[in-house]
This record gives sequence, structure tokens and C-alpha cells, in this order.
Amino acid sequence: MIGRYYWPTLAAVLVVFAALPWIAPPVLIQFGTTTLLLATLAQSWNIIGGYAGYASFGNSVFYGIGGYGTAVAMVQFNLPFGIGLLIGSLLAVVFALLLGLPVLRLRGHYFAIATLALAEAMTGVVSNLDIAGRNIGLVLPLRKDDAFFYELSLGLVVLVTLAVFWISRSRFGFGLIAIREDEDAAGVMGVNTTLYKSTAFALAGLFSAMAGGIHAYWITFIDPASAFDITLNVMMIIMAIFGGAGTILGPLVGAVLLASISEVLATEVSAMASLFFGLVIVVAVIFMPRGLADLTRRFPGLGWRYFRENLRLHRL
Amino acid sequence: MSLLLQIIVNGILLGGLYALMALGLALVWGVLNIVNLAHGAFIMLGAYVSYYLFTLLHVDPFAALPLCMLSLFALGYLLQRNVLNLLVRAPMFNTLLITFGIDVVLTYLAQIVFSADFRVVNPSYAGSNFTLLGATVPLVRALAFAIALGLTVTVWLVLAHTRLGRAVRACAQNLLAARLYGVEPRTVYALTFGLGAALAGAAGNLYGVVSQINPYIGDALTAKSFAISIIGGLDNPLGVVVGGLFLGTLESLTSLYVGSTYSDVASFGVLVLVLILRPKGLLGRTT
Amino acid sequence: MKRLLFFAIAAFALLDHALAQQTITLGASVQETGRLANTGRYYRDGYEFAVQTINERGGVKVGNEHYRLDLKILDNQSDVNLSVRQYTQLLTQDKVNFLLGPFASDFALADSSAAEKYEVPMIQGGGASDQIFSRGYKYIFGTLPVASKYFDSTVQAMSKFDPVPKSVALLYADDAFDVAVAKGAREQLQAGGFRVTQDERYSSNSSDFSSLISQIKAAAPDAVLVAGHETEVLNFIRQAKSLDFNPKLYSFTVGVPTADFRLALGRDANFAYGMTSWLPSPALKDDYFTNAQVFAESYQKRFGYEPDYHAASAVADVEAFVKAIEAAGTLDPKKVRDAIAQVDFESLYGRIQFGAVGQINLPQTVVQVYNDAVVPIYGQKGFLNKPRYPMPAWDKRP
Repeated sequence: MIGRYYWPTLAAVLVVFAALPWIAPPVLIQFGTTTLLLATLAQSWNIIGGYAGYASFGNSVFYGIGGYGTAVAMVQFNLPFGIGLLIGSLLAVVFALLLGLPVLRLRGHYFAIATLALAEAMTGVVSNLDIAGRNIGLVLPLRKDDAFFYELSLGLVVLVTLAVFWISRSRFGFGLIAIREDEDAAGVMGVNTTLYKSTAFALAGLFSAMAGGIHAYWITFIDPASAFDITLNVMMIIMAIFGGAGTILGPLVGAVLLASISEVLATEVSAMASLFFGLVIVVAVIFMPRGLADLTRRFPGLGWRYFRENLRLHRL
Repeated sequence: MSLLLQIIVNGILLGGLYALMALGLALVWGVLNIVNLAHGAFIMLGAYVSYYLFTLLHVDPFAALPLCMLSLFALGYLLQRNVLNLLVRAPMFNTLLITFGIDVVLTYLAQIVFSADFRVVNPSYAGSNFTLLGATVPLVRALAFAIALGLTVTVWLVLAHTRLGRAVRACAQNLLAARLYGVEPRTVYALTFGLGAALAGAAGNLYGVVSQINPYIGDALTAKSFAISIIGGLDNPLGVVVGGLFLGTLESLTSLYVGSTYSDVASFGVLVLVLILRPKGLLGRTT
Repeated sequence: MKRLLFFAIAAFALLDHALAQQTITLGASVQETGRLANTGRYYRDGYEFAVQTINERGGVKVGNEHYRLDLKILDNQSDVNLSVRQYTQLLTQDKVNFLLGPFASDFALADSSAAEKYEVPMIQGGGASDQIFSRGYKYIFGTLPVASKYFDSTVQAMSKFDPVPKSVALLYADDAFDVAVAKGAREQLQAGGFRVTQDERYSSNSSDFSSLISQIKAAAPDAVLVAGHETEVLNFIRQAKSLDFNPKLYSFTVGVPTADFRLALGRDANFAYGMTSWLPSPALKDDYFTNAQVFAESYQKRFGYEPDYHAASAVADVEAFVKAIEAAGTLDPKKVRDAIAQVDFESLYGRIQFGAVGQINLPQTVVQVYNDAVVPIYGQKGFLNKPRYPMPAWDKRP
């Protein structure tokens, strides 16, 4: 079905996306940047949640750390953006490794709640740090260059997708999938589960942090509530799942689709956006829990029975 | 010294309120393995039921308690029977996601129907208090504590000694075997979830008297309830009381000795520690 | 003859078309839903009311032409990030002419960057924090008085009470506005020779003040000053009652002047002090609404709830734009911006004039609640009414 037009098509799409700042109206660039950052988050969640099967509910903690690292570096120490981004990313990776180790020993619900608790705890910690501006937050220097942020976000999405692509074809990736399917068996078969899980967590943290840093500089503002936003967690998960967790392009498609519809609603119908989001989550989780990727692959064969199959499989 | 005593009393009473809030969540989680992120929304709805009964029909909040519980029970039962039942055998975090979706929808609908204006339930005795050993004890919180204790013990007794309780536990342990023994799991699950919602409704009822109500109070309360459930342990309903007391006292003491902006850090920090070191909670079995 | 008629009709159509096309669009991102919606609605309704009334009274005169005012409001759902994106959208996609502000200092702080980035003036009446105006931005103006001066008149009044309160506890939420208020209050209290028993910062959106109240009660100050949000003030008072805390006076930055406050607390609202930069007095004359009292009455009739200084501030923002546009004689953002910096006129909100950094300078009037009425106590010219002081203990109230 994909055939030899796969790579050329992808390349063409990429070129179109990259050219957007010169052919599209400013508000589309704005929307594009937001969507690309969300896509990065969804894709990085994919690494730990989709491939490794460890549903982290607290990836926003890395997003926030990345954002704050960048902000503090730029505002308190007058460092350039690149250095700030580096610092933020490094902090996130260290955090992922340090706190990942104990937390990754938990399974299922407990892991999810632990990551959620981490995010909440960090919000509290940061809102008490003077260097981070406490609960008021920090105002970053203004840079009037939307194209810059757009291209940067696009580059980040490409980077994280390439990472996922590499993972899907590597021994590391197979190890992650083995952990997802049956961790104990994987361990018995010689997979170093601790190393693999920690690496996946750190990778997810790295890319989320970079997204956070770009976002903070772009919006010129960061505060604990927006940096560690819990809703962001759910959004990235639902985008990844909607598109297809554990696939390469699934999270991207999910992100673009859901962000588009959500943004249109937020601007046109305004108040309905959150209602829409809630309903999408409910419907998607019930009828297509394996996402669009799975849907597009099996719907042509099964037709509407696809949805009934999903229901039958999971209901009581 | 009497300040410390007052702070501890405050913490214990706060803990009682917390325990009441967490009870429904812990029940549903511990027994059905359903993590209900919409729990706070149920509490919020219970508070609104209590508010409207008080404002429109002048029903005293404590008298309205059964009504709150009943209405939330109905909501929970219908939700489980028709929506959540579809996911019982799905991967765990699907229920996390769907309950989050339900939470978003309920909050939005509450905003539309009730508006964002904050409400309070202000019966004449709302500010009453009495003195005990030199500490001032607010009446309503003391009553909430008593109710929390009473409901927890009732739930524990129901689970341990009634047919329904045994059926619920059977489903939780081995669904297939339970079915073979003639238990109808869909009804049992729905009843349990309804019970969890009813308990949330009870918490909401009292919350409106102690604090103020608006459509957005749910999320913070869900987060608190999580912390309490895990810290106390999900194996035993009494764990909720232990968890609540622990958290309430911790927050009060943190406010006194460290600063009141640190209470979230303390609560969630402890939660992370408990998860790492003793995931089954303070009352959980360490097998 | 037919040709004349034809030309007449064509000219009329053209004129009508031209008239219909001339609008000035004001854009705003307001909290219509979400946790700040309770106050956000004052801004939405204030803006709408102002625009409608100004249009009814002839609209805006730019040079020799008449323009209608149009309003485009988006709901930011009380989300700062969305608010920033919406302002950018208003400027780049909807191409509004000028911007009106959101409610709350943290929103104004972030959103003003959009105005500065695109060099379009924004007048906001919802953010008072000094931080908004300390970044050297040229395109942001504010009609809420400086946060750090909020408690000035209260502290002045306190020093004239009999007996003078000697010790004060200061409590404040940890957001931009309240931290700025506390900073100013702290300086005023020190200058006034008051002993500060507590200087406590608490997390915004706290619902439980038991610990703080118990600690303050143990220190037994004469007065308590609280800088926080409406819901927190409400919780504070109810919990103060249930913990039997009886200071001689307590004063709050927000909530006290609103009808919601009195409705929610009933008699428990009595004796609470608050402040407002605006009272619906007939002495505040206005070009469009006759005076503040008439405005308050028609607002209540139209929207079903009493306006407070938020709504008045919102109306002042719209009027300031109108005056500035008319003075500049053009819609060019830079020229209008310069004109805004120069405005000086009387309105239902008071005297509108922006200081060097773009913030208005209006004194706060100290008010006190008693028997479901807001009584002005102390203003620029001294005592307006006798304060009910000290506050009787909870169990001894009438």
C-alpha cells in the first residue's frame, strides 16, 4: 500500500511544511508552531509510552524543566537562547535518569500516578524558587521572528521522528517492545530492562524539554502553572494514541488532526473547545484505542466491524 | 505550645475531610482497578446538588446528605454501566484517559449550567465552634470527620460481610470464576462505581459548607484524593482515613514550620516517596 | 431626469456603502469561561456596553469621517497561553485596529508582549501589577491603579482610627498582583510605625487557611491585611469565623465591594473592610453614560448584576481609545499610541490620565460592608463616614 511513493511523498510534505512561513498568513505560522511543538511532545511520549509501554502521565515535568532551564539561563544569567536550551535539556535528562530509576520500578497505574505526582511536586518546588520567579514566573526577552520559531519547531519534530524511526529498527527498539509486551519474559531473555527503560525515559525527557524551551522563548513568558500544565500531559497522550501509539507517524498525524480541530473551535466557537476535546477522548478510547494507524490498516478489510471488534475485545 | 496543638487539631480535621473525599476513589480503584480521574468532578456535582437543595428548598446540608449520595449514585451507575463497562478489559491507562475525558465534559457542562459564579452553602451553624483542650474546633469539620469515619467503617463492613461485598471482591479477584458462580459482573461493577460516586457526593455535600463551590474545584481535589489513597494504601478502606489524617497533619505542620506555599511540595513529595519506597501504602501488605 | 435619479441613487448607495464600511475594530481575549470567568464577565459586558453606547451616541469621529466601533472578543478559557495566541490572532488574522486587555495581572503581563511585538496599543483595565509597566514597553496602558499603592489609603485611615491598631498581620497570594500589593503595603506599614506580626505568602487558589489563621490568632495582631483573590477572601472569612478569630479589623484587596460577596456571606460579611477605585457616584460625569450612577443602574438592568470597578475600568478603556483616536485624527497605531499617552478627560470611572509608564493614578477609597451595603469610609479628602471599629467578636455580633 505504501510502495515506492512513500519517501518522495514524505519529502514533499516536509518541503511544504518548511516553506510555510513564506507562503502562509501569520496566524497559520502561529498555529503551525503550536502544533509542531505538540507533535514533538506526542512523539516523545511515544518513545516511553508507545514503544516501552510505560504510560507516563507526567512528561510535562520535562517540558517545564526545559522551559525553566532556558528561561532562567536567559533571564537571570543573560545567556543566549542556544545555551539556555542546552541547559534546560541537560537538566531534564539528569532529572529523568535520577528520578526515573526509582519510578520506573513501578508498573501500570502506579507508574502513571508517580509521574503525575512528580509533575505536581515540581510545580510546587518551582513556585518556591526565587531564581525562577516563584509563582509569578519569568518574562523572557522578546524576539519578533515567528519564522525562526516555526522552523526550529519543525526541525525538532523531524529530529524526534528520526529518533523514533531509528528506534523502530534497532535492537533498542525491539527491546522496548519486548518490555511492553511482557517485561518479565524480556528480562529472562537477556534484555537489560532497567537500562532500556531509563534510556527511553531520558530520550522522551530530552525532546520534551527542547519543546518546552522553544515554547518559553516564543511566548516570552513562563510560570509554574503553564509550564507544568497537567492538561498538556493528557493532550500529548491522546494525540499519540489517536494517531497510533507505537507507530512512527501516528503521533504526528494525531497531533496535527486534533490540534487543528481544537484550534478552529477555540477561535470560532471558543467555549466549545474543551467539550470537544473531552468527547473526542471518550469516543477515541472506546472505539479506536489503537489509533488511526491501526484504523487505516484494518478498516478497508473489516469495515464498520472494526469498531465492533474493539468493543467486543474490551468490554465487560 | 497551644499553637502546635491547634495546628495538629486543624490537621486532623482537615484529614477527616480529605479522607471523606478520597474514600470513593480508593474504593473504586482498590476493588475495581479503575482509576477515576473524574472523581473531583463528582465531588463538585455533589456540592452543587447540596447547594441547590439548600438555596431553593432550604434543606439542611446534613439532611441533604442521603439525597446527594443517591443522585451521584445514579450518575455513577449509569456512567459505569453504559460507558466505562466498555473498557474494563482494555489496557489500564485507557480508563485513565476516558475518565479524564468525562472530567472535562462534566466540568464544561457544569460551567454552562451553573455558571462560573462561586457558591457557598451557609447554614446558620456554618461558623460554629467549640473548645477542646484549649483548641478551637470548628463544628462542621468535626462532623465531617465523624461522617468520614462512619462511612469508611460502613464500606468496610459491606465489603467484608454482605453478599454484595463478597460479589464485588470476587469480581476483583477473578472475573471468570465469579461469573461461573453466578455473579453478574456488569451490575456489580456498576453498583460499586455508583457507590464510589455516592461517596464523592457525600464529600461534595460537606465541602460546600466548609469551602466554596465552583465548576473548577474538581481537579485539585482529584489530585489530593490520589495522594491520600496511595499513601494510605488501597487494600483496606481504613487506609483512606490513615492517609487523610497523615496528609492533613503534614500540610498543617508544613504550613507552620516551613511556609504555607510548600504544602503541595510536601504532599506530592511524600506521595512520590511512598510510591518508591512502599507502593502499597502505609496500611498495605508488604508482600 | 432619469440620469439625475440614477446618479442620486448611485451616490446614495456609495455613501451608504462607505458609511457602512467605516468601522474601528477593538479586539480582546477575555476570560469568559474557566476559573477567572467570574470576574472576566465584567470585562466582556463592560466592553460591549461601552461600544454599544458610544455607537448610539454617534460613534467615533476621525478627521471628518464617522466611524462605528466594533468589538471582537475571544474566550481564553482562563488560560494564559491561549490568551497570548488569541491576541496574536486578533492582530494578524482578524486585523483588529486596537486591543483591549484581559483581566488579571499575569494575563496582562504576557499579553502585552503581543501588543509590543506588533506595535499596536493595548489599553487594559484588568492588571495592576507594577511589573507590567516596568519593562519599558510603549504600547501598553492600564486603567487599574498601581498595585503597590492599593493599601495606601487603608493604612492611612488605620493610623487615624481610635484606638490606633498597633500590630498588623500581612497575608498575600503568590501571584504578580498580590506580591506587588504586599510590597507596597509592607513599606507603608513600616513608614506608619506599625508592628508587623506576620508577613506570609500563601499559594494562590488555596482553599484552606486554618493553619495560617491559627498562627495569626496566636500572635493576636490588631489588624489583618489580606491581598488575594475573591474565592480566597471568602474562605478566609468563613474559616476565621469557624476558628473564632477576632481581630479588630480586617481588610481585603478584592471581593468586598461586590454583590456576590455579600450574597455569599450574608451577615458574616459585615464589618469587613475593602477598597475600590470606583463608586457609582453621580459626581463622576461621563460623556456617554451621563454619570456613574446612571451607568450602574443601566448596567444592572441590562446584564442582571451590579457592576463594580472592573466593569467601570473596562468602559474607561474603550472611552480612552475613542478620545485618543479623535485627538490623533487617524487610525495609525503609532500616532494613536502617542495620543493615548496624552489623554486627560473625566469619565464615569474618574479622571483618565496615564502616567509616564502608562499606568493610571487613582486613589483607592476604603469601604466597609454593613447590612448589605458598601459604605465608603475614607477617601482622598479624609473620612467620609464613621467606620464601625473595632469589629465585635463573632459571638457578640448583632
